[in-house]
Amino acid sequence: MKLAYYPGCTLHGTAREYNASTKAVCKAAGIDLVEIEDWNCCGALEAIFDKELSMGLSARNNFNAQDTGLPLITPCSICSHNLSRADTAMKTDPAFRAKIEKALGKKYEGVKIKHLLDVIVNDLGIEAISKKFTKPLKGIKSVAYYGCLLVRPSEVSKFDNPENPMSLDNLIKSTGAECLPFAQKTKCCGGNLLMNKQDYAFLLSKNIFDEAKARGANCVVVACPMCHMLLDGQQAMIEKAHNIVIDMPVLYFTQLIGLSMGLDEKELELDKNMVSTSKLIESIGREEVKVDVKAEPKAEKAEVAE
Amino acid sequence: MIKSSELDPNFKYEIAKEPGGENIKKCFNCTGCTVGCPLTEIDKGFNPRKIIRKALMGMRKEVLSNDSLWLCASCYTCYERCPQDVKITEVIGAIRAIAQREAEAGKIKINNPKPVFDNLFINSVKSNGKWYEAGVSGTFMLKTKGLGGVIGYAPMGLSLFKKGKLSILPHKIKGTDEIKKIFEEVEKK
Repeated sequence: MKLAYYPGCTLHGTAREYNASTKAVCKAAGIDLVEIEDWNCCGALEAIFDKELSMGLSARNNFNAQDTGLPLITPCSICSHNLSRADTAMKTDPAFRAKIEKALGKKYEGVKIKHLLDVIVNDLGIEAISKKFTKPLKGIKSVAYYGCLLVRPSEVSKFDNPENPMSLDNLIKSTGAECLPFAQKTKCCGGNLLMNKQDYAFLLSKNIFDEAKARGANCVVVACPMCHMLLDGQQAMIEKAHNIVIDMPVLYFTQLIGLSMGLDEKELELDKNMVSTSKLIESIGREEVKVDVKAEPKAEKAEVAE
Repeated sequence: MIKSSELDPNFKYEIAKEPGGENIKKCFNCTGCTVGCPLTEIDKGFNPRKIIRKALMGMRKEVLSNDSLWLCASCYTCYERCPQDVKITEVIGAIRAIAQREAEAGKIKINNPKPVFDNLFINSVKSNGKWYEAGVSGTFMLKTKGLGGVIGYAPMGLSLFKKGKLSILPHKIKGTDEIKKIFEEVEKK
């Protein structure tokens, strides 16, 4: 399988381990990634409310993908949302299309845009990829955290149930790791409030950890660099703000399945996560895994999903 | 008390003309947006139904200058669940665009730092094609929290830098002229 690849800005910066593990996993799974030429920022969450600008910036990347003649994939939920939204607008809104075609002097034909998780779970298929999972991840008790834009709005994302998605759960389970029920799997982490309302962003993220702890999880698995920025990058700040200990590794799903493929930890850049992943990795294959329950779990919240 | 003489009946049309605001008039005020809103759960003062209702009633100044306009986290839960396809997240975006223009014209004051960050981010994309994390975050901290803010951010910046996650200099793409043309086209009204 050959695909055009749009990493997006964060994968060349704060989410470099997502980029490294995506490349490693795709290579091992027989997916050939061709990074598109001279790509630009999709507008991210900062331009998401400026609809035309966000779609205009994204459309330029779609044009560059169109030149490859391949379907376009990205591991970032925000990029995937913005690029897909732009593709739809270019096909259905003639006034917008005229503006962008004028700016770039090219004709738009359309590009198939997908999130990496969608490609792995639905195009490649769990059955096919799980044949490469040589190392069962016994001892990992995870919760799958989808966040917002990976599955919402469903008219843009299209590949899983927006209220109770299961694709990531099913992929995790196929590695031999546990994936626990999680009521907050699609609840917002507060990423877009990090700069202007940090206390709210931290509270939303703390709620996610509270439930994960109450469930007995020893890690959170994500598919979005912004969710990771909050849950992993800001975890120490959340602990400080709420005077609690969380100490919970947050893995990109590519890092998790990479481990199951027996790929090298360095290649998956598991040392680049801000919260140390070493204790979790050491525990794989062992019977009992110690779970830190110092953060007070909210029992009533945990019951909602059952 | 709401004085009908102070309402602006054209406000809803003004929003509907803005990209993303087209469906505002479809709202029948059912509250589905608000019961599922993660922000409302932690702050009862944030109420998306009220923002839309007030906008439809024409409470222009109140809607544009109320701080709650900047608390939406763009999680799209309301957008997904709205039975009327109002596209609330995008309607909020349309109202924000009007608020920013009003603030630039000196007619209202926005106290929330959100547009300051977003504009710094967007300007860095305009000049480089990609966002310049160290520069944007540093300038934002300096602008909104002063030198203390920059110093407070420094340990986080340093730990990211040590992991090879933060670049000191911006990365510029080759096609910055194309980026400028996109900005020019979408900024035309």
